[in-house]
Amino acid sequence: MYLTPEEEKIFDGEYGEAKKIAIRLLYSLGELGGANGLIPIKSAHVSGVSYKNIGEGGLKFLRKISDRVSVPTSINPLGFDLTEDGPVEIDDNFRKKQLEVVKIYQDMGIMNSYTCTPYYFYNEPEFGDHLAWAESSAITYANSILGARTNRESGPSALSAAIIGKTPDHGMHRIENRYAEIIIKPHKLLDYSEMAALGLYTGYNGRGKIPLIIGQNRLKSFEIKAFAAAFGAASSVPMFHVDGVTPESNLVREKAETIEVENSDIENIMDKFSGEEPPELIAIGCPHLSVEELNYIAGLVRGKKKTGPDFFLFTNRRVKEEARDAVREIEDFGGKVFVDTCMVVSPLSNKYRKTATNSGKASFYLPLKEYGNQEVTFKSIMQLIKWVIA
Amino acid sequence: MIIGRGMAPGITEGEVLICNQTISPLGEMSKSGIIVSGPCSGKSFKDKILIFKGGRGSTVGSYVLLELKYSNNAPAGIINEEAEQVVLTGAIISEIPMIDKVPIDIFKEGDTVRMNGKEGSLDIANIVEKDVTTVYLIRENKILLLKRSDKVSTYREQYGGISGYMEKDETPEMTGKRELIEECGISDAKLLKKGKFVYVRNNDVLFRITPIIMKTDTEDIKLNWENSEYRWVNLEQMNSFSTVPKFKETFWEIYNHS
Repeated sequence: MYLTPEEEKIFDGEYGEAKKIAIRLLYSLGELGGANGLIPIKSAHVSGVSYKNIGEGGLKFLRKISDRVSVPTSINPLGFDLTEDGPVEIDDNFRKKQLEVVKIYQDMGIMNSYTCTPYYFYNEPEFGDHLAWAESSAITYANSILGARTNRESGPSALSAAIIGKTPDHGMHRIENRYAEIIIKPHKLLDYSEMAALGLYTGYNGRGKIPLIIGQNRLKSFEIKAFAAAFGAASSVPMFHVDGVTPESNLVREKAETIEVENSDIENIMDKFSGEEPPELIAIGCPHLSVEELNYIAGLVRGKKKTGPDFFLFTNRRVKEEARDAVREIEDFGGKVFVDTCMVVSPLSNKYRKTATNSGKASFYLPLKEYGNQEVTFKSIMQLIKWVIA
Repeated sequence: MIIGRGMAPGITEGEVLICNQTISPLGEMSKSGIIVSGPCSGKSFKDKILIFKGGRGSTVGSYVLLELKYSNNAPAGIINEEAEQVVLTGAIISEIPMIDKVPIDIFKEGDTVRMNGKEGSLDIANIVEKDVTTVYLIRENKILLLKRSDKVSTYREQYGGISGYMEKDETPEMTGKRELIEECGISDAKLLKKGKFVYVRNNDVLFRITPIIMKTDTEDIKLNWENSEYRWVNLEQMNSFSTVPKFKETFWEIYNHS
């Protein structure tokens, strides 16, 4: 891989240790990916914020690589809501370490987005933009729904690209690697949680290829977001197409095989996660909710009073501000709308053991031992709401 | 020595943990060094050579490997069939040697592996490696299938091509021509295509097979003791025969791509 004379100087450490670590990581990844060189990026999005996820090893790495970012850079959720605490109590050590992680990122000049949906208000890529994004759900969203171009960056590689302002030009940055090679054919129109289940199904059965989903041309972007998140959890494929909906759905290889998805395949995925009822907590907002989704949920609970399990929603600060009327209605009902965090990256098991959600991604992570430790129920939003409305 | 692709530098050695699955380091590798989902659920990878198909899931996975290294629960080395960027980044920043482009099915539980992550090379202790050439012989769009006799030492009664051990200083083409004369009495074959190494493990022997496609105009086959039967079949028909390991997929790989 070619480096410019200026990049060589960074590589040799003339601009400090942090930049040297950053460019050397980009160089290694570019060499292995077959890149010709580094290309400028419009923005970065960084994962590796919750202390629950990165631990002491991650914190040490961040101390070493701390340097100013050179492009607009948004950042993933952390372990609790900085604006009003919650969703669960945390111990002093966790709080102290988490706040140090946050301070390091702030000192680097990264925006205080704390969201897995930076594309709502914080960091809005346009078609064809080259990016270096981490966060599996945001990567699949940016490539597939926005038509921007990012590889599946890891937390450290996205941060390195943010510091250098460039990324190796391999993989998804090249159009020939963006073609669908497998066709996914569900047998009915799918709703939000069914799309999330299809995301898991396609991740498990899609043979590591970019899929084209057909027969779902009425989908809204938040329903595709549900697929993007579940698919990103269950696979390592950074992109998919939805026929007639996503902007590059004409990119399909002629030899692409078709996988027929029976209605029972979708049901089986959801039935795998059917915990003992009722749950202690209903958690919605993985990925973080949009203004449109908050308005929809407010409409379902308007004028009613919550009974039964806790009812928590998760979004980012700007969405919560934009949807303040809906938020008020949800909180009058007895629910809570948290920002900066979510059910996956907060230490939920400090308080809860049984969680119900409409998220395929959360259903992937929350049941795992020594991580989420939850008994998970995976249902549609209408079924979830029935538990909290008398 | 087995050659894959060097991903993260370093030399290491250890007992293998073979996981025939993709793994998200976040969530599926616990902080105490245990796989918590899939076929390897409950098994420890601490200080082992962790072998799995490839990474998936959260992009925070690189930090999970770093934290495992920090708490002395990391694997000694990582081998993937196809690496992706999250596990790779984790291996680089955690200084865990890593290799990819190595098939999982050449390893067995209990193997000890020594690997060089810079060169992409590895050795499995106490096995014998044997170099073999397999010829796919074509005549007028038909392929020759030989049924291995009950006198050969491996894969008796299964269909295959024309295979033989490579002698010192032989090229695959030379071995192929020699074996064609010995096993089939054919001397006019010409090389069409040569594929990449394919590895097949049989107990304590690892066959490193160079597959080649050759062409002949001779229809009559004179079998020796190694085979009991021969058939010229259409290429598509081949899929219905019970063949030696990796025989069909290797043919289609070379035939369609290289």
